[in-house]
This record gives sequence, C-alpha cells and structure tokens, in this order.
Amino acid sequence: MRRITLWLLSTVAVLVLLFSYKTSTMGPGGESGAVAAGGSDGVVANPGSATDSSGSGSASGGTVTGSVAQTRWGPVQVRITVSGGKITDVQAVRVPDGNRRDQEINGYAVPVLRQEALAAQSAQIDTVSGATVTSDGYRESLQSAIDAAHLN
Amino acid sequence: MTATVADRRAVRRTLPAVPAWWADVAVSVAVLSLLVVTALWTANRGVQELLAGPATGLTSLGRLAGLVSADLMLVQVVLMARVPLIERRFGQDRIAHWHRLAGFTSFHLLLVHVVLTTLGYAGTARQGVLAETWDLVVTYPGMLLATAALALLVLVVVSSVRAARRRLRYESWHLLHLYAYLGVALALPHQLWTGTDFVGSAAARAYWWTVYLLTLASVLVYRLGLPAWRSLRHRIEVAAVVTEAPGVTSVWLRGRDLHRLPARSGQFLLWRFLDGPGWSRAHPYSLSAPPNGNLMRITVKDLGDGSVRVVALRPGTKVLVEGPYGRLTGQHWRGGGVTMLACGVGITPLLALLWELPYAPGEAVLLYRARTPEDLAFRAELDQLAAERGLVVHHLVGPRARRPSWLPAYVEGMSDAEALRRLSPGIAAHDVFLCGPDGWVDAARAAARAAGVPDAHVHHERFAW
Repeated sequence: MRRITLWLLSTVAVLVLLFSYKTSTMGPGGESGAVAAGGSDGVVANPGSATDSSGSGSASGGTVTGSVAQTRWGPVQVRITVSGGKITDVQAVRVPDGNRRDQEINGYAVPVLRQEALAAQSAQIDTVSGATVTSDGYRESLQSAIDAAHLN
Repeated sequence: MTATVADRRAVRRTLPAVPAWWADVAVSVAVLSLLVVTALWTANRGVQELLAGPATGLTSLGRLAGLVSADLMLVQVVLMARVPLIERRFGQDRIAHWHRLAGFTSFHLLLVHVVLTTLGYAGTARQGVLAETWDLVVTYPGMLLATAALALLVLVVVSSVRAARRRLRYESWHLLHLYAYLGVALALPHQLWTGTDFVGSAAARAYWWTVYLLTLASVLVYRLGLPAWRSLRHRIEVAAVVTEAPGVTSVWLRGRDLHRLPARSGQFLLWRFLDGPGWSRAHPYSLSAPPNGNLMRITVKDLGDGSVRVVALRPGTKVLVEGPYGRLTGQHWRGGGVTMLACGVGITPLLALLWELPYAPGEAVLLYRARTPEDLAFRAELDQLAAERGLVVHHLVGPRARRPSWLPAYVEGMSDAEALRRLSPGIAAHDVFLCGPDGWVDAARAAARAAGVPDAHVHHERFAW
C-alpha cells in the first residue's frame, strides 16, 4: 500500500473514533446528570413544576419555595425548610446546568451557598468566587423564600 | 518559436486594476473581526471577571486568548485561499509572510488559551490541574475533538518551524500542512458548545458560523474550484521544450481558449506537470513571454529542486495550473521611462513585460546581472528588443560583490546608487521593476531609493516562499 493511502485511511479511522465519543456529538447541553444527581449536596434532583414562592410554610415550619431568579445562564430557584422560625435546610430546585461548565461550577458553589445560608439565616451571604451569576440568583430566590415564610 | 514572442498582435487582456480602497477594506475586515470577538468577550463580562478573582481572571483571559486565536486562525486560512482581490492587491509574497505571522501568533495564543483556561477551570472547580485536564478532555462537549485539533495544529506548526521545514521533503511538509484545515474544523464544536461567548447567545453563534462558512467557501471556491475549473477548461499541455542556456529551459504550453485565461506578462502560475510520480508538487514559474492567446511560455533554471524535470517533459504532457497570480504587471507602468533590473533567472517575468509594454525607443533600460556569460539567457530576444524596440541593455556579468550589493564584484568600487544613475540616467523618474533572489532584490531596492526613485515606483515580487 502506498504511504498516502495509509495516511488517508488512518486519518479517517481516527476521525471516526473521535466522533464516536459522546462529547463529540452531544451539543452544548451535554448530559445534565452530573450535578442533579448530587441532590444531597443541596440540589433537588427533579424539581418538578415549581411555582413562584409557594409552599406549605409559615413562620413556624414547613417548606417554602422562592421565586425563580432569571440569570444569564438560566433560572435559579431555592426551597427552604423552616422549623421553629429557623431555616434548617436550603435546596436548590433549579440552577443553570445547560452545559458542563455550569454543572462543574454549581457542583461546587451550591453546597457552599447552602452552608452560608444556613449559617447566616438570611440572604446576606457572600458570593462564591467563580460562581457570581449563580450566587446572585441564589440570593435573590432565597430572599423571596424568606420573605414568603415571613422570617424577619 | 521566437516569432511567436514577437507577435505584436498579442492579446493584451487588461485585468480590472484593483482599486486602492480595496486594501483598506481587506485590512478593515480583518481588524473588525478581531474587534467583534473582543466585544463578545467584554459583553460577556470579560473585564469584570478578569478582576473577580484569580481563577475567574485566568479563565477570562484564557477565553480572550482563545477567541483571538480562533479569529486569527480563520484570517490566515483566508489569506492563503488565493482570493483574487486579496491576491492581486497585496501579492503572494506579502500574503505568505502575513500568513506565517498570523499563524504563529494564533498558535501562541492557542497555547495561552489552553494553559490559562485549564488553570482557571481547575481553580473554580477546586480540583487539581491534572484531574481538571482529564475532566475537560473527556466530559466537556466537543473537547475531545478540540484536543485532537490541538495535536494537529502542534504537528503543523512544528513542521513549519524553519529548521524542520528545511529537513522535510516539500511533499511531506505540504501533506502535514493540510492537517491544519482539519485542526481548524475540529476546534469549532468546543467553541460553540463550551465557549462562554457562544453558548449563551444565538446571535454570536450565527455570526461565528457565518465566519467559518465564509472561510470554508473562500477555500473551496478559490483554492480548489477555480484552479480545477481552469485546468479542465483550458486542458493545457506541453507544446515544446527549448534549451535557452546551460541549465535554463523554456517550456511552451498550449491549450483550449487560452485567450480567455486572464494571464498577463509579469505574472506566474503554479504548474503541475502530469509526467509521473512527484506531479503533485506545484511549481511557481513566471511567464517569460506575453501570453498571446494560443501559447504561453515559461522559463526554468535548474536549481536542483525538481526544476530539472522540465527538461525531460514531452510534448503532449498534461498540465494542471493554479493562477495566474502576481502583481508585477504592466498596470504599474505610468507610461514613461522604465528601468528593469534582473538577476539570473529573474529575467523571465521582466522579459515578458519588455515585450508587452509599449515604451518608446530609448525609454526602457534593462540591467541584467548574471554570474557568468553562459548564464545570460535570451540573448537573441534581447538583441531583437534592442534593435526593434530601442531597448537599452546593460549586462553586468561576474561574481557578486563582497558587500551586499546588486552589482558584480568588478564595479563594487562604485556606490550602488551611483552605478544605477550612470547606467540609467533618467531612473529617478522611471518605473522600476525588480526580479531576482531575495538578498539581491533588497540591495537593488535600496539602490533605487538612494538614486531618488520613490518607493511607490519600485515594483517587485519575491518568489521564495
């Protein structure tokens, strides 16, 4: 076989292999399982149809879902669990996960934001470095949830 | 065959001169494309993120480097696409130089992009650089393809570094260089799917697709389509092979409807002779006679780089052509005196111009430099031009001067400019055409400048690319 044929065949073979890999044809969305699967870290796996500031909560107890904060990278929405007038848990119902980058950033940022919120018991929490957009949306949705739960 | 050269019915197809403003348009488009990607970066909080912390800052800077690198990558593909307006305005010598410059700049920015983005992503994800690199390559959309693209571009750049280029056979280098197209294409998915500036904006994606498709179209149309169409249409073949001087050979070529091939004296084409293995290498040879509508002539000096093959060409050998290219044409002649300086086989395009330009007797001067008397080609034709057209010919024969000079050693006592003024007294007002090896052309240009010729009236084209 001539060398040029060998080159051509190898090139085609390598291209076929490259394109058979999932990230080569998946588009920008990618698989959205990476972060959503980590529900225990403060993200709800399947948000379902969350509506604005709804919930069974009151100043005393229950859960309250904050409003949807629209950010550049997508909606952010949190749900707080209130018990005895205190926030006992914060779940991110929705965070931007449109692409792998968002998943990576939020995979780190959401647990940090949750810890901050639990410690502060308010929406006055620090921005997580590298996750400015998510932090802004998180604060906004958290504030609306706190308002709706009348925790002042 | 000489009678054909002297044929004054030569078809003088005048290409529409490329307007001067076209240069401004071409450069502006390139600069604007860089502005657009920078604007994308700033619109997507590039500057704010730069100052927002070390990891975000690194990512942001890496993003900018990637955008500019990708843009320059496309610019240099378009530069080599042989778009006629660009080609005729700037000339392939300058374009090839810019191509190299843009290519290497783009590559260096690409490396900056890879390093900074990886470090930045590792920073925001709070994981080690190696783990992040692995994640980036195997989980981010389009990133495996982008990694392959990086490998291909590294291959292309390494093989184009001068030291490596000299060691490689031209055919091997050229084959490797074609992988750059694949590299540019494989980089696209990760830009659209992972690039912050494109993921979030349909308008930005539409713009980027447009730029990519226009680049692809310029290559398909001008680099492949037009040469293929011209080769098919004109069915050029070798008509005759003639020895002009020791090691200097002329090839006459015929074809269908050659009067429709827009070639002018002073231009060159890239020739591929289908005479057996090695045909795929294109040789840039200038026309050495005005194309007369039926025949073209090229003249080749044996430089030991495969040009000796033309000696063995047989009449009837099929030829593929790209071109005509080159801006060393009569369009620069303002209609008065003209001085031509040729060195060695550089005589070829100037000879064609001397046949073509309608100068008055005594208005044209040819200074023809050669190492030995045997190296002087076209004696009979130059004598004919002197007798019939009043061309003034001065031969400058002998070893080169011991300083950088366009003169031979035996007159090196005289200054370069002084020699020019003596041999062509009216040169300061002439159009000056130069053709020869690089170093010699540099010396001749300097001499012309020193003799009072404005740079705008000195015309030359380099052939070593």
